[in-house]
Amino acid sequence: MTSVAHGPYEINVGEGVAPIQMLHGTTTLGFVFQHGIIIAVDSRSTMGPFIASQTVQKVLEVSPYIIATMAGGAADCAYWHRVLQSEVRLYELRNKSHMSVAGASQIFANIMYQYKGRDLSVGTMIAGCDRGVPSLYYCDSDGQRTKGSVFSVGSGSTHAYGVLDSGYRPDLTVEEAIALGRRAIFHATHRDSYSGGIINVYHVHKDGWTKYPPIDCLEFFNFEKNPPLPISKDSLADLAKGPIVPAGTPIPSPAPSAPAPKAEPAPATTTSVSVTGSS
Amino acid sequence: MFQNKSEYDRSVNSFSPEGRLFQVEYAIEAIKLGSTALAIQVAEGVLLAVEKRITSTLLEPASIDKIMQIDTHIGAAMSGLSADGRSLVETARVETTNHRFNYGEAMTVETCTQAICNVCLKFGDSKSKMSRPYGVALLVAGVDEEGPALFHTDPSGAYVRVQVKAVGAASDGAQTALNEEYNKSMRRGEVEDLAAKTLKAVMEDAVTPTNIEFAWVDAGTRVFHAYTPAEVEVILARLAAQPAAE
Repeated sequence: MTSVAHGPYEINVGEGVAPIQMLHGTTTLGFVFQHGIIIAVDSRSTMGPFIASQTVQKVLEVSPYIIATMAGGAADCAYWHRVLQSEVRLYELRNKSHMSVAGASQIFANIMYQYKGRDLSVGTMIAGCDRGVPSLYYCDSDGQRTKGSVFSVGSGSTHAYGVLDSGYRPDLTVEEAIALGRRAIFHATHRDSYSGGIINVYHVHKDGWTKYPPIDCLEFFNFEKNPPLPISKDSLADLAKGPIVPAGTPIPSPAPSAPAPKAEPAPATTTSVSVTGSS
Repeated sequence: MFQNKSEYDRSVNSFSPEGRLFQVEYAIEAIKLGSTALAIQVAEGVLLAVEKRITSTLLEPASIDKIMQIDTHIGAAMSGLSADGRSLVETARVETTNHRFNYGEAMTVETCTQAICNVCLKFGDSKSKMSRPYGVALLVAGVDEEGPALFHTDPSGAYVRVQVKAVGAASDGAQTALNEEYNKSMRRGEVEDLAAKTLKAVMEDAVTPTNIEFAWVDAGTRVFHAYTPAEVEVILARLAAQPAAE
Protein backbone atom coordinates (compact mmCIF):
# COMPACT_ATOMS: atom_id res chain seq x y z
CA MET A 1 0.00 0.00 0.00
CA THR A 2 2.67 2.44 0.94
CA SER A 3 5.16 3.22 -1.72
CA VAL A 4 7.79 4.56 0.55
CA ALA A 5 10.89 3.51 -1.28
CA HIS A 6 13.53 4.83 1.00
CA GLY A 7 17.15 4.14 0.52
CA PRO A 8 20.34 5.94 1.05
CA TYR A 9 21.37 6.29 -2.56
CA GLU A 10 18.42 7.08 -4.74
CA ILE A 11 20.46 9.58 -6.63
CA ASN A 12 20.55 7.74 -9.93
CA VAL A 13 18.15 9.88 -11.89
CA GLY A 14 19.48 8.54 -15.16
CA GLU A 15 18.07 5.13 -14.36
CA GLY A 16 14.68 6.65 -13.80
CA VAL A 17 14.93 6.53 -10.05
CA ALA A 18 13.53 9.50 -8.21
CA PRO A 19 16.16 11.77 -6.69
CA ILE A 20 16.55 11.96 -2.95
CA GLN A 21 13.62 13.55 -1.29
CA MET A 22 13.22 14.71 2.20
CA LEU A 23 10.98 12.72 4.48
CA HIS A 24 11.14 9.51 2.53
CA GLY A 25 11.49 7.64 5.75
CA THR A 26 8.63 8.22 8.12
CA THR A 27 6.17 6.56 10.41
CA THR A 28 2.64 7.88 10.60
CA LEU A 29 -0.51 6.16 11.75
CA GLY A 30 -4.17 6.76 12.23
CA PHE A 31 -7.05 4.71 13.52
CA VAL A 32 -10.75 5.12 14.16
CA PHE A 33 -12.15 4.21 17.56
CA GLN A 34 -15.29 4.91 19.55
CA HIS A 35 -14.32 8.45 20.51
CA GLY A 36 -13.02 9.58 17.12
CA ILE A 37 -9.67 9.13 15.44
CA ILE A 38 -6.13 9.04 16.78
CA ILE A 39 -3.36 10.34 14.56
CA ALA A 40 0.23 9.76 15.68
CA VAL A 41 3.40 10.61 13.79
CA ASP A 42 7.15 10.73 14.26
CA SER A 43 9.16 13.84 13.41
CA ARG A 44 12.30 12.70 11.63
CA SER A 45 13.24 13.91 8.17
CA THR A 46 15.94 12.07 6.28
CA MET A 47 17.84 12.52 3.04
CA GLY A 48 19.34 9.14 2.44
CA PRO A 49 21.41 8.22 5.49
CA PHE A 50 21.43 11.81 6.69
CA ILE A 51 19.00 12.94 9.36
CA ALA A 52 17.95 16.35 8.09
CA SER A 53 15.64 17.20 10.96
CA GLN A 54 14.22 15.72 14.13
CA THR A 55 11.51 18.32 14.59
CA VAL A 56 9.27 18.08 11.55
CA GLN A 57 5.58 18.71 12.04
CA LYS A 58 4.11 15.86 10.02
CA VAL A 59 0.51 16.58 10.88
CA LEU A 60 -0.90 19.23 8.59
CA GLU A 61 -3.88 21.20 9.77
CA VAL A 62 -6.12 21.39 6.72
CA SER A 63 -8.93 23.15 8.57
CA PRO A 64 -10.11 23.46 12.16
CA TYR A 65 -11.80 20.08 11.79
CA ILE A 66 -9.69 18.16 9.26
CA ILE A 67 -6.06 17.13 9.65
CA ALA A 68 -3.74 15.23 7.37
CA THR A 69 -0.48 13.38 7.87
CA MET A 70 2.52 13.59 5.61
CA ALA A 71 4.81 10.85 4.35
CA GLY A 72 6.91 10.85 1.22
CA GLY A 73 8.22 14.10 -0.17
CA ALA A 74 7.85 16.87 2.39
CA ALA A 75 7.43 19.57 -0.21
CA ASP A 76 4.92 17.57 -2.25
CA CYS A 77 2.84 16.89 0.84
CA ALA A 78 3.03 20.38 2.24
CA TYR A 79 2.30 22.09 -1.07
CA TRP A 80 -0.66 19.97 -2.13
CA HIS A 81 -2.15 20.12 1.31
CA ARG A 82 -1.99 23.91 1.09
CA VAL A 83 -3.90 23.65 -2.16
CA LEU A 84 -6.41 21.42 -0.36
CA GLN A 85 -6.58 23.95 2.47
CA SER A 86 -7.64 26.66 -0.01
CA GLU A 87 -10.25 24.41 -1.58
CA VAL A 88 -11.74 23.48 1.77
CA ARG A 89 -11.81 27.12 2.81
CA LEU A 90 -13.62 28.25 -0.33
CA TYR A 91 -16.08 25.37 -0.07
CA GLU A 92 -16.92 26.45 3.46
CA LEU A 93 -17.59 30.04 2.39
CA ARG A 94 -19.62 29.05 -0.66
CA ASN A 95 -21.75 26.40 0.99
CA LYS A 96 -21.94 27.65 4.58
CA SER A 97 -21.04 24.19 5.80
CA HIS A 98 -17.90 22.22 6.42
CA MET A 99 -16.55 20.05 3.65
CA SER A 100 -16.78 16.36 4.42
CA VAL A 101 -13.60 14.36 4.84
CA ALA A 102 -14.79 12.22 1.95
CA GLY A 103 -14.97 15.35 -0.19
CA ALA A 104 -11.61 16.73 0.90
CA SER A 105 -9.85 13.42 0.35
CA GLN A 106 -11.48 13.08 -3.07
CA ILE A 107 -10.20 16.49 -4.12
CA PHE A 108 -6.76 15.47 -2.95
CA ALA A 109 -6.91 12.10 -4.73
CA ASN A 110 -8.08 13.78 -7.94
CA ILE A 111 -5.09 16.11 -7.85
CA MET A 112 -2.78 13.17 -7.18
CA TYR A 113 -4.25 11.26 -10.10
CA GLN A 114 -3.85 14.23 -12.44
CA TYR A 115 -0.17 14.31 -11.59
CA LYS A 116 0.26 10.54 -11.70
CA GLY A 117 3.57 9.51 -13.20
CA ARG A 118 5.05 12.95 -12.64
CA ASP A 119 7.23 11.86 -9.72
CA LEU A 120 5.14 13.17 -6.87
CA SER A 121 5.76 11.27 -3.65
CA VAL A 122 2.90 11.55 -1.23
CA GLY A 123 1.34 9.17 1.27
CA THR A 124 -1.23 10.81 3.46
CA MET A 125 -4.06 10.10 5.82
CA ILE A 126 -6.88 12.60 5.96
CA ALA A 127 -8.95 12.55 9.13
CA GLY A 128 -11.97 14.38 10.44
CA CYS A 129 -15.59 13.95 11.39
CA ASP A 130 -18.50 14.06 8.97
CA ARG A 131 -21.63 15.06 10.91
CA GLY A 132 -20.07 13.68 14.07
CA VAL A 133 -19.01 10.39 12.50
CA PRO A 134 -15.24 9.90 12.39
CA SER A 135 -13.88 9.39 8.90
CA LEU A 136 -10.36 8.36 7.92
CA TYR A 137 -8.99 8.18 4.38
CA TYR A 138 -5.66 7.12 2.92
CA CYS A 139 -4.50 8.84 -0.27
CA ASP A 140 -1.24 8.57 -2.15
CA SER A 141 0.56 9.86 -5.19
CA ASP A 142 -0.51 6.83 -7.22
CA GLY A 143 -4.01 8.27 -7.03
CA GLN A 144 -5.23 5.65 -4.63
CA ARG A 145 -7.89 6.64 -2.09
CA THR A 146 -9.19 4.25 0.54
CA LYS A 147 -11.49 4.66 3.50
CA GLY A 148 -10.54 2.58 6.47
CA SER A 149 -10.26 2.30 10.20
CA VAL A 150 -6.55 1.52 10.69
CA PHE A 151 -3.75 2.90 8.57
CA SER A 152 -0.06 3.36 8.88
CA VAL A 153 2.11 5.01 6.26
CA GLY A 154 5.83 5.31 5.85
CA SER A 155 8.98 3.24 6.07
CA GLY A 156 8.23 2.37 9.68
CA SER A 157 4.61 1.47 8.97
CA THR A 158 5.14 -2.29 9.11
CA HIS A 159 6.56 -1.99 12.61
CA ALA A 160 3.76 0.34 13.65
CA TYR A 161 1.11 -1.98 12.21
CA GLY A 162 2.45 -4.80 14.37
CA VAL A 163 1.86 -2.91 17.57
CA LEU A 164 -1.29 -1.22 16.33
CA ASP A 165 -3.04 -4.39 15.16
CA SER A 166 -2.26 -6.23 18.36
CA GLY A 167 -3.52 -3.46 20.60
CA TYR A 168 -6.36 -2.07 18.50
CA ARG A 169 -9.96 -2.30 19.58
CA PRO A 170 -12.74 0.06 18.50
CA ASP A 171 -13.80 0.51 22.12
CA LEU A 172 -10.54 1.91 23.46
CA THR A 173 -10.81 4.90 25.75
CA VAL A 174 -9.18 8.13 24.62
CA GLU A 175 -6.26 7.63 27.01
CA GLU A 176 -5.74 4.04 25.87
CA ALA A 177 -5.96 5.03 22.23
CA ILE A 178 -3.42 7.81 22.63
CA ALA A 179 -1.11 5.45 24.48
CA LEU A 180 -1.49 2.85 21.73
CA GLY A 181 -0.71 5.41 19.03
CA ARG A 182 2.39 6.63 20.81
CA ARG A 183 3.55 3.12 21.52
CA ALA A 184 3.16 2.06 17.90
CA ILE A 185 5.17 5.04 16.70
CA PHE A 186 7.80 4.43 19.34
CA HIS A 187 8.31 0.81 18.28
CA ALA A 188 8.55 1.87 14.67
CA THR A 189 11.15 4.50 15.47
CA HIS A 190 13.02 1.88 17.45
CA ARG A 191 13.40 -0.47 14.49
CA ASP A 192 13.27 1.92 11.55
CA SER A 193 16.25 4.23 11.45
CA TYR A 194 14.44 6.53 9.06
CA SER A 195 11.93 7.33 11.76
CA GLY A 196 12.52 9.04 15.07
CA GLY A 197 12.53 12.33 16.88
CA ILE A 198 9.42 13.19 18.81
CA ILE A 199 5.93 11.71 18.70
CA ASN A 200 3.04 14.01 17.97
CA VAL A 201 -0.47 12.86 18.73
CA TYR A 202 -3.79 14.34 17.66
CA HIS A 203 -7.24 13.25 18.71
CA VAL A 204 -9.85 14.03 16.06
CA HIS A 205 -13.36 14.30 17.45
CA LYS A 206 -16.73 15.76 16.51
CA ASP A 207 -15.77 19.26 17.65
CA GLY A 208 -12.55 19.39 15.66
CA TRP A 209 -9.23 18.12 16.85
CA THR A 210 -7.09 18.24 19.95
CA LYS A 211 -3.31 18.21 19.88
CA TYR A 212 -1.58 16.35 22.66
CA PRO A 213 1.84 17.25 24.03
CA PRO A 214 4.74 15.89 21.98
CA ILE A 215 6.86 13.23 23.60
CA ASP A 216 10.46 12.40 22.73
CA CYS A 217 10.75 8.84 21.38
CA LEU A 218 13.60 8.23 23.76
CA GLU A 219 11.28 8.82 26.68
CA PHE A 220 9.86 5.42 26.04
CA PHE A 221 13.14 3.87 27.06
CA ASN A 222 12.48 5.19 30.50
CA PHE A 223 10.43 2.28 31.72
CA GLU A 224 9.99 3.62 35.18
CA LYS A 225 8.21 6.58 33.75
CA ASN A 226 6.53 4.61 31.00
CA PRO A 227 5.83 1.10 32.22
CA PRO A 228 6.09 -1.05 29.12
CA LEU A 229 2.58 -2.30 29.42
CA PRO A 230 -0.59 -2.78 29.24
CA ILE A 231 -2.06 -0.32 26.90
CA SER A 232 -5.50 -1.28 28.11
CA LYS A 233 -6.47 -3.30 31.11
CA ASP A 234 -8.34 -6.13 29.49
CA SER A 235 -7.27 -7.02 26.02
CA LEU A 236 -3.68 -6.19 26.54
CA ALA A 237 -3.12 -8.42 29.49
CA ASP A 238 -2.24 -11.19 27.10
CA LEU A 239 -0.01 -8.88 25.17
CA ALA A 240 2.02 -8.47 28.29
CA LYS A 241 3.14 -12.03 27.79
CA GLY A 242 4.29 -11.29 24.27
CA PRO A 243 7.25 -9.23 23.23
CA ILE A 244 5.59 -5.90 22.87
CA VAL A 245 8.76 -4.23 24.05
CA PRO A 246 12.00 -4.73 22.15
CA ALA A 247 13.41 -8.16 22.75
CA GLY A 248 16.01 -8.27 25.47
CA THR A 249 14.69 -5.27 27.32
CA PRO A 250 14.47 -6.02 31.03
CA ILE A 251 10.83 -5.88 31.90
CA PRO A 252 10.27 -5.04 35.53
CA SER A 253 7.56 -7.47 36.60
CA PRO A 254 5.22 -7.40 33.59
CA ALA A 255 2.32 -7.45 35.95
CA PRO A 256 -1.00 -7.13 34.22
CA SER A 257 -2.22 -6.28 37.67
CA ALA A 258 -0.52 -2.95 37.45
CA PRO A 259 -1.82 -1.40 34.29
CA ALA A 260 -0.67 1.94 35.61
CA PRO A 261 -2.07 4.66 33.42
CA LYS A 262 0.98 5.93 31.69
CA ALA A 263 2.66 8.87 33.28
CA GLU A 264 1.95 11.19 30.43
CA PRO A 265 1.59 14.90 30.68
CA ALA A 266 -1.88 15.65 31.81
CA PRO A 267 -4.40 16.19 29.02
CA ALA A 268 -5.22 19.43 30.78
CA THR A 269 -2.30 21.01 28.97
CA THR A 270 -3.69 20.15 25.59
CA THR A 271 -4.30 22.66 22.91
CA SER A 272 -7.88 22.43 21.92
CA VAL A 273 -9.10 23.86 18.69
CA SER A 274 -12.77 24.08 18.10
CA VAL A 275 -14.63 24.40 14.88
CA THR A 276 -15.16 27.90 13.73
CA GLY A 277 -18.74 28.96 13.69
CA SER A 278 -20.85 28.86 10.60
CA SER A 279 -24.47 29.55 10.50
CA MET B 1 -21.38 61.21 -32.95
CA PHE B 2 -24.99 60.67 -32.10
CA GLN B 3 -27.59 63.12 -33.33
CA ASN B 4 -29.55 63.02 -30.16
CA LYS B 5 -27.98 63.39 -26.74
CA SER B 6 -30.20 60.72 -25.24
CA GLU B 7 -28.63 58.14 -27.50
CA TYR B 8 -25.41 58.23 -25.49
CA ASP B 9 -27.02 56.28 -22.70
CA ARG B 10 -27.29 53.14 -24.83
CA SER B 11 -23.61 52.35 -24.84
CA VAL B 12 -21.60 51.25 -21.83
CA ASN B 13 -18.31 52.37 -23.30
CA SER B 14 -18.94 55.81 -24.78
CA PHE B 15 -18.64 59.06 -22.93
CA SER B 16 -21.33 61.64 -23.58
CA PRO B 17 -20.11 65.07 -24.77
CA GLU B 18 -20.43 66.23 -21.16
CA GLY B 19 -18.05 63.49 -20.07
CA ARG B 20 -20.55 61.17 -18.51
CA LEU B 21 -20.96 57.42 -18.70
CA PHE B 22 -24.69 57.10 -18.44
CA GLN B 23 -24.82 53.36 -17.94
CA VAL B 24 -22.53 53.60 -14.94
CA GLU B 25 -24.65 56.38 -13.52
CA TYR B 26 -27.78 54.32 -14.06
CA ALA B 27 -26.09 51.41 -12.29
CA ILE B 28 -25.52 53.67 -9.33
CA GLU B 29 -29.24 54.46 -9.45
CA ALA B 30 -29.97 50.73 -9.26
CA ILE B 31 -28.41 50.67 -5.81
CA LYS B 32 -31.04 53.09 -4.56
CA LEU B 33 -33.70 50.52 -5.41
CA GLY B 34 -32.07 47.97 -3.13
CA SER B 35 -32.89 47.45 0.53
CA THR B 36 -30.96 49.55 3.02
CA ALA B 37 -27.55 48.40 4.21
CA LEU B 38 -25.36 50.20 6.69
CA ALA B 39 -21.97 49.82 8.29
CA ILE B 40 -20.40 51.41 11.34
CA GLN B 41 -16.73 51.29 12.22
CA VAL B 42 -15.49 51.90 15.75
CA ALA B 43 -12.30 51.06 17.64
CA GLU B 44 -13.72 47.73 18.84
CA GLY B 45 -14.61 46.52 15.35
CA VAL B 46 -16.98 47.00 12.44
CA LEU B 47 -20.70 46.30 12.32
CA LEU B 48 -22.68 45.51 9.19
CA ALA B 49 -26.47 45.69 9.27
CA VAL B 50 -28.98 45.21 6.46
CA GLU B 51 -32.67 45.17 5.82
CA LYS B 52 -34.02 42.08 4.12
CA ARG B 53 -37.19 42.52 2.13
CA ILE B 54 -39.36 39.53 2.81
CA THR B 55 -41.77 39.88 -0.10
CA SER B 56 -43.83 36.84 0.74
CA THR B 57 -44.62 34.80 3.81
CA LEU B 58 -43.72 31.77 1.74
CA LEU B 59 -40.20 33.08 1.27
CA GLU B 60 -37.46 31.52 3.36
CA PRO B 61 -35.71 34.52 4.96
CA ALA B 62 -32.48 32.61 5.60
CA SER B 63 -32.05 32.17 1.86
CA ILE B 64 -31.59 35.90 1.33
CA ASP B 65 -27.92 36.73 1.68
CA LYS B 66 -27.27 40.42 2.01
CA ILE B 67 -24.24 40.08 4.25
CA MET B 68 -21.60 37.63 3.11
CA GLN B 69 -18.33 36.50 4.60
CA ILE B 70 -15.31 36.98 2.33
CA ASP B 71 -12.51 35.66 4.53
CA THR B 72 -12.13 34.95 8.24
CA HIS B 73 -11.51 38.64 8.86
CA ILE B 74 -13.57 40.33 6.11
CA GLY B 75 -17.26 40.52 5.31
CA ALA B 76 -19.43 42.57 2.97
CA ALA B 77 -22.94 43.96 3.01
CA MET B 78 -24.61 44.74 -0.29
CA SER B 79 -27.37 46.81 -1.73
CA GLY B 80 -28.62 46.77 -5.31
CA LEU B 81 -28.64 43.76 -7.58
CA SER B 82 -27.77 41.01 -5.15
CA ALA B 83 -26.84 38.62 -7.94
CA ASP B 84 -24.08 41.02 -8.95
CA GLY B 85 -23.07 41.33 -5.32
CA ARG B 86 -22.85 37.59 -4.93
CA SER B 87 -20.65 37.36 -7.98
CA LEU B 88 -18.32 40.09 -6.68
CA VAL B 89 -18.11 38.45 -3.26
CA GLU B 90 -17.22 35.16 -4.95
CA THR B 91 -14.26 36.82 -6.71
CA ALA B 92 -13.24 38.43 -3.44
CA ARG B 93 -13.31 35.04 -1.72
CA VAL B 94 -11.09 33.51 -4.37
CA GLU B 95 -8.74 36.51 -4.20
CA THR B 96 -8.38 36.37 -0.42
CA THR B 97 -7.93 32.61 -0.42
CA ASN B 98 -5.31 32.82 -3.16
CA HIS B 99 -3.60 35.58 -1.22
CA ARG B 100 -3.30 33.28 1.77
CA PHE B 101 -2.00 30.53 -0.50
CA ASN B 102 0.57 32.73 -2.24
CA TYR B 103 1.77 34.88 0.61
CA GLY B 104 0.90 32.84 3.68
CA GLU B 105 -0.88 35.76 5.27
CA ALA B 106 -4.27 37.40 5.30
CA MET B 107 -5.18 40.03 2.71
CA THR B 108 -5.70 43.56 3.96
CA VAL B 109 -9.19 44.99 3.73
CA GLU B 110 -8.07 47.66 1.28
CA THR B 111 -6.38 45.18 -1.05
CA CYS B 112 -9.51 43.07 -0.97
CA THR B 113 -11.60 46.12 -1.84
CA GLN B 114 -9.26 46.91 -4.73
CA ALA B 115 -9.66 43.37 -6.01
CA ILE B 116 -13.43 43.84 -6.02
CA CYS B 117 -13.20 47.22 -7.76
CA ASN B 118 -10.93 45.78 -10.44
CA VAL B 119 -13.71 43.35 -11.31
CA CYS B 120 -16.25 46.19 -11.29
CA LEU B 121 -14.36 47.84 -14.13
CA LYS B 122 -14.26 44.76 -16.32
CA PHE B 123 -17.37 45.26 -18.39
CA GLY B 124 -18.27 46.32 -21.88
CA ASP B 125 -15.60 44.85 -24.11
CA SER B 126 -16.13 41.61 -26.00
CA LYS B 127 -13.53 39.77 -23.92
CA SER B 128 -15.15 40.32 -20.57
CA LYS B 129 -17.90 38.16 -19.16
CA MET B 130 -19.90 41.17 -18.04
CA SER B 131 -21.66 43.26 -20.67
CA ARG B 132 -22.85 45.95 -18.27
CA PRO B 133 -21.68 47.59 -15.04
CA TYR B 134 -22.30 45.75 -11.77
CA GLY B 135 -25.41 47.29 -10.25
CA VAL B 136 -24.42 46.88 -6.65
CA ALA B 137 -22.73 48.78 -3.84
CA LEU B 138 -20.68 46.86 -1.31
CA LEU B 139 -19.75 47.83 2.22
CA VAL B 140 -16.52 45.91 2.79
CA ALA B 141 -15.78 45.60 6.49
CA GLY B 142 -12.83 43.90 8.08
CA VAL B 143 -9.96 43.98 10.51
CA ASP B 144 -6.34 43.65 9.46
CA GLU B 145 -2.99 44.45 11.05
CA GLU B 146 -3.82 48.15 10.75
CA GLY B 147 -7.00 47.67 12.76
CA PRO B 148 -10.66 47.90 11.74
CA ALA B 149 -11.42 49.18 8.26
CA LEU B 150 -14.55 49.94 6.28
CA PHE B 151 -14.76 50.63 2.56
CA HIS B 152 -17.60 51.57 0.27
CA THR B 153 -17.48 50.51 -3.37
CA ASP B 154 -19.82 51.53 -6.19
CA PRO B 155 -20.46 50.38 -9.78
CA SER B 156 -17.91 52.81 -11.21
CA GLY B 157 -15.16 50.83 -9.48
CA ALA B 158 -14.42 53.72 -7.14
CA TYR B 159 -13.92 53.00 -3.48
CA VAL B 160 -13.68 55.21 -0.43
CA ARG B 161 -12.76 54.52 3.15
CA VAL B 162 -15.49 55.57 5.54
CA GLN B 163 -16.37 55.44 9.22
CA VAL B 164 -20.09 55.20 8.75
CA LYS B 165 -22.02 54.50 5.57
CA ALA B 166 -25.57 53.76 4.58
CA VAL B 167 -26.53 52.59 1.09
CA GLY B 168 -29.78 51.55 -0.55
CA ALA B 169 -33.33 52.81 -0.62
CA ALA B 170 -33.32 54.73 2.66
CA SER B 171 -29.63 55.61 2.61
CA ASP B 172 -30.17 59.38 2.91
CA GLY B 173 -32.25 59.19 6.05
CA ALA B 174 -30.11 56.48 7.56
CA GLN B 175 -26.87 58.34 6.81
CA THR B 176 -28.18 61.50 8.47
CA ALA B 177 -29.28 59.57 11.54
CA LEU B 178 -25.95 57.76 11.76
CA ASN B 179 -23.89 60.93 11.30
CA GLU B 180 -25.73 62.56 14.18
CA GLU B 181 -25.19 59.82 16.70
CA TYR B 182 -21.91 58.28 15.60
CA ASN B 183 -18.94 58.50 17.87
CA LYS B 184 -15.59 56.77 17.30
CA SER B 185 -15.39 55.49 20.84
CA MET B 186 -18.76 53.75 20.88
CA ARG B 187 -18.84 50.27 22.36
CA ARG B 188 -20.09 47.25 20.46
CA GLY B 189 -23.44 47.23 22.24
CA GLU B 190 -24.01 50.89 21.49
CA VAL B 191 -23.14 50.34 17.83
CA GLU B 192 -25.62 47.46 17.65
CA ASP B 193 -28.29 49.64 19.22
CA LEU B 194 -27.60 52.51 16.84
CA ALA B 195 -27.76 50.22 13.80
CA ALA B 196 -30.98 48.59 14.96
CA LYS B 197 -32.53 51.93 15.82
CA THR B 198 -31.59 53.38 12.43
CA LEU B 199 -32.92 50.41 10.51
CA LYS B 200 -36.12 50.51 12.51
CA ALA B 201 -36.57 54.19 11.69
CA VAL B 202 -36.05 53.84 7.95
CA MET B 203 -37.72 50.49 7.27
CA GLU B 204 -41.29 50.33 6.03
CA ASP B 205 -41.95 46.98 7.67
CA ALA B 206 -41.62 46.41 11.41
CA VAL B 207 -38.20 45.04 12.34
CA THR B 208 -38.09 41.36 13.26
CA PRO B 209 -35.15 39.04 13.91
CA THR B 210 -35.66 37.58 10.44
CA ASN B 211 -35.98 40.69 8.31
CA ILE B 212 -32.76 42.32 9.41
CA GLU B 213 -29.29 40.86 9.41
CA PHE B 214 -26.21 41.81 11.44
CA ALA B 215 -22.55 40.92 11.30
CA TRP B 216 -19.58 42.01 13.37
CA VAL B 217 -15.85 41.86 12.67
CA ASP B 218 -14.06 42.12 15.98
CA ALA B 219 -10.89 44.21 16.24
CA GLY B 220 -9.48 41.92 18.91
CA THR B 221 -10.08 38.48 17.44
CA ARG B 222 -10.18 39.65 13.80
CA VAL B 223 -13.02 37.24 13.20
CA PHE B 224 -16.14 37.85 11.13
CA HIS B 225 -19.30 36.80 12.91
CA ALA B 226 -22.79 36.69 11.38
CA TYR B 227 -25.50 37.10 14.01
CA THR B 228 -28.06 34.35 14.41
CA PRO B 229 -31.73 35.39 14.55
CA ALA B 230 -31.57 34.72 18.29
CA GLU B 231 -28.69 37.17 18.67
CA VAL B 232 -30.58 39.78 16.64
CA GLU B 233 -33.56 39.23 18.89
CA VAL B 234 -31.47 40.19 21.90
CA ILE B 235 -30.59 43.50 20.24
CA LEU B 236 -34.22 44.15 19.30
CA ALA B 237 -35.36 43.37 22.82
CA ARG B 238 -32.84 45.88 24.13
CA LEU B 239 -34.12 48.42 21.61
CA ALA B 240 -37.73 47.84 22.66
CA ALA B 241 -36.81 48.32 26.31
CA GLN B 242 -34.89 51.55 25.71
CA PRO B 243 -37.65 54.16 25.35
CA ALA B 244 -39.17 52.92 28.58
CA ALA B 245 -35.87 53.37 30.38
CA GLU B 246 -35.27 56.85 29.12
